[in-house]
Amino acid sequence: MALGTAAAAEASTFDVAFLTDPVGPKALPYLAAGILVAVGLRMAWRPAAGGGAGARSPARTGLAAAAFLAYAGVLPWLGFFVSTTVVVAVLSELYGAPRPHGLVAAALLTGSLWVLFVHLLGLPLPPGALWIR
Amino acid sequence: MDSLSGLAGGFAVALQPLNLLLAFGGVFVGTVVGMLPGIGPINAIAVLVPVTLATGLSPESSLILMAGIYYGSQYGNSISTILLNVPGTASAVATALDGYQMTKAGRAGAALSTAAVSSFVGGTLSVFGLVLFAPLLAGWAIRFGPAEYFALMIFAFSALSTFSGGSLVKGLASTAFGLWLATVGLDPNSAIPRYTFGQLQLLDGMDFVVVTIGLFAVSEVFHLLEDTERGRAVAAVAGRVAISVKEIARTGWTMLRGSVLGFVVGVLPGAGGTIASFLAYGMEARIAGDSGTFGHGDIRGLAAPEAANNAAANGAMIPLLTLGVPGSGTTAVLLGALLGLGVTPGPLLIQDEPDLFWGLAASMYVGNVFLLVLNLPLVGLFVRVLSLPRWFLIPGVAAIAFVAVYAVNGSSFDLVLMTMFGIVGYFMRRLDFPLAPVILGLVLGPIMERNLRRAMALSDGDWTILFDSPIAIVLWVLALASLAGPAAMRRWTIVPAQRPPDRDH
Repeated sequence: MALGTAAAAEASTFDVAFLTDPVGPKALPYLAAGILVAVGLRMAWRPAAGGGAGARSPARTGLAAAAFLAYAGVLPWLGFFVSTTVVVAVLSELYGAPRPHGLVAAALLTGSLWVLFVHLLGLPLPPGALWIR
Repeated sequence: MDSLSGLAGGFAVALQPLNLLLAFGGVFVGTVVGMLPGIGPINAIAVLVPVTLATGLSPESSLILMAGIYYGSQYGNSISTILLNVPGTASAVATALDGYQMTKAGRAGAALSTAAVSSFVGGTLSVFGLVLFAPLLAGWAIRFGPAEYFALMIFAFSALSTFSGGSLVKGLASTAFGLWLATVGLDPNSAIPRYTFGQLQLLDGMDFVVVTIGLFAVSEVFHLLEDTERGRAVAAVAGRVAISVKEIARTGWTMLRGSVLGFVVGVLPGAGGTIASFLAYGMEARIAGDSGTFGHGDIRGLAAPEAANNAAANGAMIPLLTLGVPGSGTTAVLLGALLGLGVTPGPLLIQDEPDLFWGLAASMYVGNVFLLVLNLPLVGLFVRVLSLPRWFLIPGVAAIAFVAVYAVNGSSFDLVLMTMFGIVGYFMRRLDFPLAPVILGLVLGPIMERNLRRAMALSDGDWTILFDSPIAIVLWVLALASLAGPAAMRRWTIVPAQRPPDRDH
């Protein structure tokens, strides 16, 4: 059932999507949307079995996703080192790290990534606008 | 003997000190990341290959590094499959059958060495096949016009949708989702923005790195959070690590047969490695008959799928390099990376960029040698990495993913997109939608659209041009057969559920 609704929802978003597509080159969007609608109908009509085992910890997964989004938000301001250390530490915590170890490991890991990419490979990572000003 | 002189030139490229170092580093890092339970080869490639792109190395060197990562991650996957019984890909399931039994019987060392030697044999023989057959196929593929390419891509899509495991309907849905993603951004012909929702950052389209890392790596990080069981005991590696000559002799023919079979199956699009490894396993079990202890730790039951799997991985490079059409999720990621380097694989690649093609072939040899030299002595070290706690390993992979995604455009918008795709991928996993066809659709979509439009322009909008040449018709028939084949086979025969359907052409 969850599958059927998911498929239907997917199909309906694509219906909307191809209506908003401007006139012009739209053979491929039509093709993709067509397959999706057909497949969605097929699944709505006869939902396949399998999948959809309930999440055992939706809260933790949600937290992780929120942490990732927050990371994207603060990265330009706090810079690579601080924000990556924090997000990695949060993730370690979610994976059940013992208290101080997670943070220390995160800082060490981030530090070594920084050295590797910025100093050895010459890849620019954001230093953080806050500290520069 | 064009191939031989080309290959000699290739070795000159591959044996430059920097490139040797890169091959070594790629194999090492690839092994470590590919070994991590739950991360697996496709995530290793998805995360590491974009890092390669960001380093600004020459295309040749980047390719060599990628080939190393590709090989290393395959072998890393075998390590965790044999020791922990957690196959990271469908193609490693056959390895687990006897490999894990050997570990349980205290012969983990012998099992790991067997895997290394048979991967080496399968890999080396199939690179030889690649050198032999790729130029032939390229010569033939030059005659492909836009209509043939379009049909070829339809075939690649239908084959991967069918064989990516799970239901055909879901495979098709994933493919269509990928195709749709491919249309996001400015239309190349008319410069009309499609599906950008007014977001400037979407005008350039979806970057495949962002989508790949999001769908595979980030969703895996989310997914593993639910899997709370911890402290999977790493089996102690007991027994000799070195394999005795006698045992190699016993598996010699098995490895040879597995390699040839794997190579042939690998060239065909679809989930080559999976089918190849199961076919090789089944074939050896049948040949051994009563003399074998298959399923209870027979060394041949390990050597056959390992050789076949590696040979198939190389066989899959042939359509990738000569036609520009990847046959699997992993090669789709490699194709995206090649395009990112400004290299367009196709029939002309061997002529136009001989250094690159032959350098890659030679570095595949070199990578194979490194794999053997590195893994026999270092197996103990790799095993210790496996015993590091997950709370350290998985966030570490996430951090590398952040760097890789940020490096693409230096924009944090991409990190938001990546997280979105992580969430999408997480739900797709929960609902059993295969992820690989999405990447295939995304990477091939623009090429397919271009060829379709070109064909239409040639024919003034007459759709029959798509079915006009013998090659195109054969490809259409193959595409239909790959869609209908498994269903038909299920109806007419009673196939044991755990075996993927045999393909007969």
